[in-house]
Amino acid sequence: MKHSPARAALAPWILLAPFLTVFVVFTLYPAASSLWLSTRQTFGPGVSVPVGGSNYSNLFHDPSFWKALRNTVVFTLGSVLIQLPLSLLLAIILNRPDIRARTFFRVVLFSPVLVGVVFVAMLFSVLFGKRTGLVNQLLHASTGWDLDFPWLDTYVMPALIVATLWQYVGFNMIYFLAALQNVPKELEEASRMDTAAVWSRFRHVTLPAIMPVGTFVVLLSIIGSFQLFELPYILMNGTGGPEDRGLTLVMYLYQTGFQTGDLGFAAAIGWVMALVLIACAAAQRLISRKAEAA
Amino acid sequence: MKPDPSTPPPRSLAVVLISAIAIVSTALTLALGSPRRDGATMWTFARLHYDIYAPAIAEWNASGKPPVTCSVLGVQAIEQRMLSSFLSQTRSADLLEVERRVAARAFAGPPEAIGFVDLTDRLKAEGLMDRINGPSFTPWTSRGRIYGLPHDVHPVMLGYRADIVEAAGIDVNTIETWDDFARVLGPLMLNPDGTRRKDRYLLNLWETHMDALESLVLQAGGGVIAQSGLPMLDDPINARVLAHVAAWGHGKDRIAADAPYFSASGNQLLLDGFVLASFVPDWMCNLWRKEIPQLAGKVKLMPLPAWEKGGRRTSVWGGTMLGISREAKNQDELWEFAKHLYLSPDLSRRLFLEGDIISPVREFWNDPIYDQPDPFFGGQARGRLFVDLADDLPPRYNSPFGAMAVERLRAVASELAAIADATPDATVADLESHAQRLLTKVQEDVMRHARRNRFFASEVPGAAQ
Amino acid sequence: MNPRQSRAMSMAPMLLCHALLSAAALLVLLPFAWLAFATIRSGPDFFTSTFLPSGDGLFGIAWDRLTLENYRNLFVTAGFGRSLLSSLFLASVTALLATLVCAMAGYALARLEFKGRGFVAALVLAALVIPPPLLVASGFRLLFDLNLLDSFAGLIIPAMGPVFGVFLFRQAVVSGVPRELLEAARSDGCGEIRAFFRIVLPLVQPMTAAFLLITFLGVWNNYLTPQIVLQSEEKFPLAVMIAQLKNVYYQDYGLLMAGTLVSIVPVAGLFLFLQRDFVAGLTSGAIKG
Repeated sequence: MKHSPARAALAPWILLAPFLTVFVVFTLYPAASSLWLSTRQTFGPGVSVPVGGSNYSNLFHDPSFWKALRNTVVFTLGSVLIQLPLSLLLAIILNRPDIRARTFFRVVLFSPVLVGVVFVAMLFSVLFGKRTGLVNQLLHASTGWDLDFPWLDTYVMPALIVATLWQYVGFNMIYFLAALQNVPKELEEASRMDTAAVWSRFRHVTLPAIMPVGTFVVLLSIIGSFQLFELPYILMNGTGGPEDRGLTLVMYLYQTGFQTGDLGFAAAIGWVMALVLIACAAAQRLISRKAEAA
Repeated sequence: MKPDPSTPPPRSLAVVLISAIAIVSTALTLALGSPRRDGATMWTFARLHYDIYAPAIAEWNASGKPPVTCSVLGVQAIEQRMLSSFLSQTRSADLLEVERRVAARAFAGPPEAIGFVDLTDRLKAEGLMDRINGPSFTPWTSRGRIYGLPHDVHPVMLGYRADIVEAAGIDVNTIETWDDFARVLGPLMLNPDGTRRKDRYLLNLWETHMDALESLVLQAGGGVIAQSGLPMLDDPINARVLAHVAAWGHGKDRIAADAPYFSASGNQLLLDGFVLASFVPDWMCNLWRKEIPQLAGKVKLMPLPAWEKGGRRTSVWGGTMLGISREAKNQDELWEFAKHLYLSPDLSRRLFLEGDIISPVREFWNDPIYDQPDPFFGGQARGRLFVDLADDLPPRYNSPFGAMAVERLRAVASELAAIADATPDATVADLESHAQRLLTKVQEDVMRHARRNRFFASEVPGAAQ
Repeated sequence: MNPRQSRAMSMAPMLLCHALLSAAALLVLLPFAWLAFATIRSGPDFFTSTFLPSGDGLFGIAWDRLTLENYRNLFVTAGFGRSLLSSLFLASVTALLATLVCAMAGYALARLEFKGRGFVAALVLAALVIPPPLLVASGFRLLFDLNLLDSFAGLIIPAMGPVFGVFLFRQAVVSGVPRELLEAARSDGCGEIRAFFRIVLPLVQPMTAAFLLITFLGVWNNYLTPQIVLQSEEKFPLAVMIAQLKNVYYQDYGLLMAGTLVSIVPVAGLFLFLQRDFVAGLTSGAIKG
């Protein structure tokens, strides 16, 4: 089979072509044009007027934006700090050699990921309902908790943290499981021989070994949580809840862009979000590099 | 570990399976194609309306005119799809029957971008402006032009537990104002075990009830949006109403509690007599009839107590319109169809008999069916009661800032409730001054938002151009 | 310590672990059970019973009040059959195309030497931090300008080149395809493209399976994008149809539940069937952070 050097040089570009086309047209171009779009005010994609930087300055003074930012940050922190340790714990347990029915547990715990967001919204709106919801009833029976506690109005963020926990703890568990299984067996055996306490074994052997994957999962989690939208949107029927308690950044973006029709303002919100996430990603690289050096 | 290139690679089940699905589904999708869309489509959100319209639509289709197909969609679905298609200027439905909040979204941009057809000239030319109840047009009017045919009037009355009230020998005709209401019915509040939470309250009201807040504010002569389309949240009348709402729900003279509408738990509370009176627009009668049949014969209707002697004794809650999409073809035929649906005496009669809804067409109000006694409401001629209030309805103006303004109103009501909780000895006058302060602040919030909107710049004083 | 003591000591943690896992599994499975039973209950029973309506039948359950009418309504009145087809079509086609495109690009960036490789690789890495919400508004406008709104193509084409997919396949190639093998193939006279299909693809098979499944799942449950892009009802996938079944005033819960179950079963089946491939793909060492 003859092939000319010219053909060989072309090959990489042939392989890259489909991706590059889609990438340039549907990722790079919109990213760039969204900067332009953010300097305009629109009513749908067909109608727009230039407004300069006023979208950004209005954003800065917009109480709804700050509420959304605060809600999103609170949710992200709560989610990451509660969900990830739980996933890790489950993964460590599941990784033990003496666990029976490992496949069963793995499949079952992973399954909530398969469910659509509508079901999760329905499920948790029933569970967290004011007087008839299971959560309030159980809490009331055991601790005299207020039966009318408004999980779905005023305290919707904690309810969302629990709901997304149910949804994603198994998913992150699989990632951690994968990481744990890549830890060299010899390392683990060696430390087990040493009658080292469980906690110190974890801290000095397991944790450093899974650190790269760990930071990756944390970053993914932060990025994902930061973009929370569909669940609260369905849970609260398209509104942001009373006093925007349930408003997240992407929900605010969607409301301004696709309900009010101001795609320009939505683009501005998008850019602010992008900057925050880029900062997070940069921080993750720094931390990851430091951890590897250690 | 070097893979041996001589043995064939293992077949990936995943690839095979998904490829199979892809091939089969592609073939089927191509084969089924898109259904041809000649004729017009109509969307509504209420199953009740669909059922009532069905024979009229069939009659229209059979008469050789361009056929109309009607479907029922969820409220949120209609809103999203309507907005999406208006904004992107694609064709979705030709006739849209939408309710107030959804319709308001269509008016947010410049007039040339409003997705509904401007019906003002047709309405004027055909004399419909006089035939139809005036206030019913207001929610569909933007910048002086009307974009929808009104479906209803929706006056609000108070539905109360007549069995309990009459057993105590109380005559509701002695109640003219809200102060009378609290005073006359006060003794009926039960608290046998002396707990903080009573067993019976007078009024079904909670400060996060946006609809109820808006109804009350409109009744009193205040409002959320003025005729200009700008917010009027800081009107002193609003402050007065909100102060009362806070005092009713949270002060030491508390008379109101929450039996949530549209929920099983709320329905049960009504049956238990946990709240004596609820806000009942005409369509709520139908809901009660269908979902709480055990209330039959126990409830009656009375006009809303006024805010001052001789004041307005009703308000408005809800509203639906029929609009024609600008992208629709055959708009003249569609206009005829809309009139066929909304101005037919038979359909109006059915709407009342099956949905308890009174028509906005004034000449239909002479129809004797409105005078029929209703056993559910203790033999009262429910229809006539609502019709008598129709002239008194407050107008509701439309604005792209309407949703935000109502939301802010609710926020103020919540804050007031918290203040009332914290200072149980506060008088209504104290609360009123708090309310005024809070309302002025949120008025400025919404105005700031309004000033930002370039499409309304000509209407907003001080806006950037 | 002697063997018996140490065995006893390790029993307690083992029991505890199993208890924890079982509790977690129960918390996960109960809602599914609730869902399944909810689909066969009829209207009035819906709110009064949690799983099965109580009555005079066997075990105190009113077996005669169970019904399949929700499913009938779903397919006959609500047109779910068409939505199911749309979902299957969108998910499978997008998954296949995206996998192919990303595998090709990932391989090119990993093992092929060419001018500009560094630049493209850096671009791809940088693009990883672009959050989708940034692109939503301008992407919608782009589809409007390209006249791709309300079409399947408008959903499939933009989803064909996910950046993280390229990233994953690049890692997979780096760790799973040794240079020597490719050198051997080249010296045997094998063309680059042929090498890709004959040698590289089979070697990254675990990742292929995993990526196919992840993409399938992502498109299957995606509710936001199709709702914005599509207008015609016959094109709506399941996720959108179910969301739109929610009516604010009167909710046909039974229908909603049945619809949800119908949308879960295909993906659940797929994953159950292919779960070994899936996990193998994730653990193939491709994820190193």
